[in-house]
Amino acid sequence: MMPLLSYVNEYDTPECNTLAETAKRSIRTPDSLGLDRCIQCGACTASCPAARFTDYSPRQIVKRVLENDWSLLEDESIWSCFYCYSCNLRCPRNNSPVTIVQVLRQMAVNEGIGLEKLAYFVDVGEYLAENGASRIPGPGVRNMEKDLGERWIGFKRDLDTIRAELGLKPRDVRDTGSEVRAILEGTGFFEREKWIKSRESGDTELTLNPSAVIMPALKSRL
Amino acid sequence: MKPIETVPDRKLLLFKSCMVSQEYPGIESATGYAFEKLGADYYVNEEQSCCTGIGHYTDLFEGLTTAAIAARNFAIARRCGYPNITCLCSTCYAVNKEACELLNTNAEVREKVNSIFREQGMDDLVYEKGDMDPRSSFYHAVEVLLSKVDLIREKKQLDFSGVKAAAHHACHYYKVKYQDVVGNPENPQLIDDIAEACGADMVRWYEDRTLTCGMGFSQLHLNRNTSLQVTKAKLDSLKNVGVELMLHMCPNCHIQYDRYQPVIEKEFGVEYDTVHMNIGQFVALALGADPYKVCGFQTHSVPLEEFLERIGAI
Repeated sequence: MMPLLSYVNEYDTPECNTLAETAKRSIRTPDSLGLDRCIQCGACTASCPAARFTDYSPRQIVKRVLENDWSLLEDESIWSCFYCYSCNLRCPRNNSPVTIVQVLRQMAVNEGIGLEKLAYFVDVGEYLAENGASRIPGPGVRNMEKDLGERWIGFKRDLDTIRAELGLKPRDVRDTGSEVRAILEGTGFFEREKWIKSRESGDTELTLNPSAVIMPALKSRL
Repeated sequence: MKPIETVPDRKLLLFKSCMVSQEYPGIESATGYAFEKLGADYYVNEEQSCCTGIGHYTDLFEGLTTAAIAARNFAIARRCGYPNITCLCSTCYAVNKEACELLNTNAEVREKVNSIFREQGMDDLVYEKGDMDPRSSFYHAVEVLLSKVDLIREKKQLDFSGVKAAAHHACHYYKVKYQDVVGNPENPQLIDDIAEACGADMVRWYEDRTLTCGMGFSQLHLNRNTSLQVTKAKLDSLKNVGVELMLHMCPNCHIQYDRYQPVIEKEFGVEYDTVHMNIGQFVALALGADPYKVCGFQTHSVPLEEFLERIGAI
């Protein structure tokens, strides 16, 4: 039997008894996070582009976090946020639903939920390690080629020449030596990459976090 | 609020952006051209890496990776003597500012990042508390241009009189660290003030002015239909008030409006007459830059030829 993978992201999702505590202690949210100050006024939902076109409601998300409703991690709607920070700007209590949702997504990822979404972007990591720059991920390029057609494909083909005409280095490759790769190794990104890719391999057993602390904890809370 | 008088014009590290470099490289060359004409002292350092923004906001990278990459870029900015990080992309701006605040206030993260640097033999990257200041070490290129608005008015060679234009101020510039915005974050006017100095007729309020572009990082790719509906909402409102030029300050928004405008026209059965430009390209053009050899308009999806001819740029 293949060894089971586990993955823990202690800075984004510090282990706590409640969703609210994890959200407050996460490095994704500001220290001044006004989660407990939420008055459910709905200014967040009123300014939210996702709420306008989908069932997503940042006000409801915050309410459910305060109620410690762990089923949120399995709720597809947490993946609808645009990360536009309109709620962050407009909240009169300095709460930040947009950063709380970032924590919820990371908690879901720890449980193997939503890995197929991250898999879409996963090649950005290796590309960054190799080139010091990011790029539109491979599946994104294929979709953009379909959408944007020959004009865009042709421009991308000529990019090196155009950049040279503009007085820029033909290719956007940075002189980072091996430093960026070393940083990604040091932060454990490549372990995370394996965790994300485990879903792609089709071996669903691998996607269950066996660390005996988190997954059963989640299950018992649902 | 960030007073415009505090925006520096010396020791600016013009922070390379991946989406500028790979989609609209003319934004980098045009901004450099404008900075030179306006006497702003800047440097582009090829050692600087991506800020991690694309990965960070698609949930791919965790916060520790983003903080460590940022700390490396901060060391590079200080080492080359250009510590005023000046971004072309609003997401680079927000990511760097947030990472700086985290590194200054969270000793555990700072120590972890530094221990990674030491273990990997990169001691010269170690970040000490206060090496950078989240409020005074980070700028957006549009702020530098606005600080030179009188000079732009004086030196302009091309006049945009009679051009009805509108601004799209990028969310990650004014909604993330909203206390550090030049002007009122509920109604930013930086682009409007610059373009008006070049003669453009600015529509300062239109429906959905503060609506996001719709790219939403993963949203364009994973929830494409919703993403394009958001983009369409703003294009519709610009059409309703007869705006022919939309001015941007972020390559992500620029991709969403310029690249996807023809897609929205086709899929939703609508037509738009709006063309798109970054504010750096606009100022460079006003100061006499070549539309193709400096501004790089040949990389745009919505053709600008008719517009450029009408204003006498070609």
